[in-house]
Amino acid sequence: MPLAIELRGLTKLFGALIALDALSLSVERGEIFGLLGPNGSGKTTTVNIVSGLSKPSAGEALVFGYDITREPRAVRAMLGSVPQETALYEELSAWDNMVFHADLYNVPSRGRSERILHLLDLVQLTERKSSRVSTFSGGMKRRLALARALLHEPQLLYLDEPTLGVDVQSRKALWDYILGLKSQGKTVLITTNYLEEANALCDRLAILDRGKLVAMDTPDLLKRRYGDAVIDLELDPSPSDRLVKGLRALPGVNAVAKHDGHIQITATGQPALAAQVISLVTRDTTDGDAGAALRSISQREPNLDEIFLRLTGSGLRD
Amino acid sequence: MLYDLRVIRAVAIKDIRSALTERLFSSISIIVPLNFLLLFLLFVLTGGQAPTAIVMDDSGAYAQQFVSAMQGAHSFIIQQTTADEAQRLMAQGRIVAIVTVPADFDSALRDGRQVELPVLVNNLNVDYTNDIRRAVPLAITSFYAQAFPDQVVVQAMEDDVHSHDTDYIQYLSVSIVVISLLIGGLLQAGVSAAREYEAGTIKELLLAPASRWALEVGKLLGALALSVVSAAVVLGVVVLVLGVTPLYWSEVLGFTLLVMLTFIALGLLAGTLVRRRTSVIPLSIGISLPVFFISGAFGPVQWGTPALAVISQLQPVYYAIAVFQHAFHGFQTTPFSLSTNALVLAGFTVVIVLASATALRTRAMP
Repeated sequence: MPLAIELRGLTKLFGALIALDALSLSVERGEIFGLLGPNGSGKTTTVNIVSGLSKPSAGEALVFGYDITREPRAVRAMLGSVPQETALYEELSAWDNMVFHADLYNVPSRGRSERILHLLDLVQLTERKSSRVSTFSGGMKRRLALARALLHEPQLLYLDEPTLGVDVQSRKALWDYILGLKSQGKTVLITTNYLEEANALCDRLAILDRGKLVAMDTPDLLKRRYGDAVIDLELDPSPSDRLVKGLRALPGVNAVAKHDGHIQITATGQPALAAQVISLVTRDTTDGDAGAALRSISQREPNLDEIFLRLTGSGLRD
Repeated sequence: MLYDLRVIRAVAIKDIRSALTERLFSSISIIVPLNFLLLFLLFVLTGGQAPTAIVMDDSGAYAQQFVSAMQGAHSFIIQQTTADEAQRLMAQGRIVAIVTVPADFDSALRDGRQVELPVLVNNLNVDYTNDIRRAVPLAITSFYAQAFPDQVVVQAMEDDVHSHDTDYIQYLSVSIVVISLLIGGLLQAGVSAAREYEAGTIKELLLAPASRWALEVGKLLGALALSVVSAAVVLGVVVLVLGVTPLYWSEVLGFTLLVMLTFIALGLLAGTLVRRRTSVIPLSIGISLPVFFISGAFGPVQWGTPALAVISQLQPVYYAIAVFQHAFHGFQTTPFSLSTNALVLAGFTVVIVLASATALRTRAMP
């Protein structure tokens, strides 16, 4: 059975600019797959190629076994899309938007109204079905765009920043819908700048930077690769270089970052590391006049922001 | 096939609904063509004849006959005044010339003496000045032919190609119908196409498995339905207000549809390329005006320079004016037959729709 998405050596050039550089990745059927990357990393270009809006300069893109350049209409029939700007006709009602979409995607006339009502009910917009979309809030528009994308029962759903500009309640509701899609066997491709969202929704993540794939794995494995634990210390006054050197020498420590009175330690496979750190700091304090007092210490799991920053060298919103 | 028809219908209905909710942009596609109609008519009405005062120092039979000859020249708007009143009108800039019929006009003619006819010309505009310089000698010749038929021995024996003369306003107003359809089509379809890009809804269309052809034809028909209103208004003004009645109504209706399709297809192409509604409006006017002037709007292009004739044949407005002049007045303004002109127009429509569908495909997304 073919994969939901298979990209092989996908390259896209805009003049001299390499937007995608031999990108290869695959998305399994029934998977929620996240594409992460700073602006200009190639996320949108990748999705534009997968949905047939843009042609690759080189390489192949297959969607459920169909080559997007040779059979674009077959691919588009299986793809439901929720673009970031929603692409709704704001001057028309929610109902008219749904009916127009049904015609565009050749949804059978029999049972069409019932299906539209069901989907509007799912996204809690039944009462506003006759209202113009221009009167909707950002969250309502997102929900309507999601309902519209599901109308023709696509096998692959693409969501571009699904909760951008959406309030907390709507975001939770949207997450629930998206997770519900997985249980229906749909494949979902998400691009997002919210790492919390990627963590909550995605089975696997691909991190892109400057058109290249820099990492691809489950959120848990990505975090583990970065380190099991992060220990944050606050010292007064600023810690000595000797202490930093000592911390770096502890077994399992991957990295020690010092910033003013703060130290951040990333480590792998050392459950008792916190005790060793406290011991070292205390000894440093008592050994000499230059020692610093420990104000606070905390241990936590690394977050995706830190992984992202480490892999790409930049924040998501750069 | 049924799916394509469904898409065509859906896109057309959606575009009509969208346009009706945006009254500002929809009304522009009616107001601007009407504005052009009024503008050109004002140009014709104000620019045809030179306001001229005649001072009659002689009221004899020859003098009266001479005034009749001037009125028959169709070049003057004549008012008879005193010498002082004429000077006052000239000082106020309300007349172009003063023609004074001297006191001895009749007696000099009877005696066979030479008559000097004073003509004072306000020569600030060479166009009007030349009108006076041409029309006064013409009036004198005409006067002589009537007053002294024995002395004028050369006479033109005119034989007309057409059964009736066509007034300048009648000719030009038909050309103005074409430019109104051009501007209306460009605006209506251009705004419709550009709105999809501005609102981001182009993605909804391009992501659908529908064929690009069906999308284009749907947009074409939607804009056509909306443009019918502006076309009806313009034709109504020409027929009912100006009294220019078509010779062949069936041709008017058929060619109106064909010409609208051509210009709407051009509007779709323009809107797809520029992608901004605010750019479509100046672009439409910017295209229409020069094309109108080189397309035989004021008379057959073949009567102008050969280079202009070749250039004008490269664009559809030339053929549109030709088929409309035939529909209204029954004559040919191009070296080609009516059916050839109509076929060329249909060819332009197909080529432009193809170009528009290609633009939609190739300029989909970066």
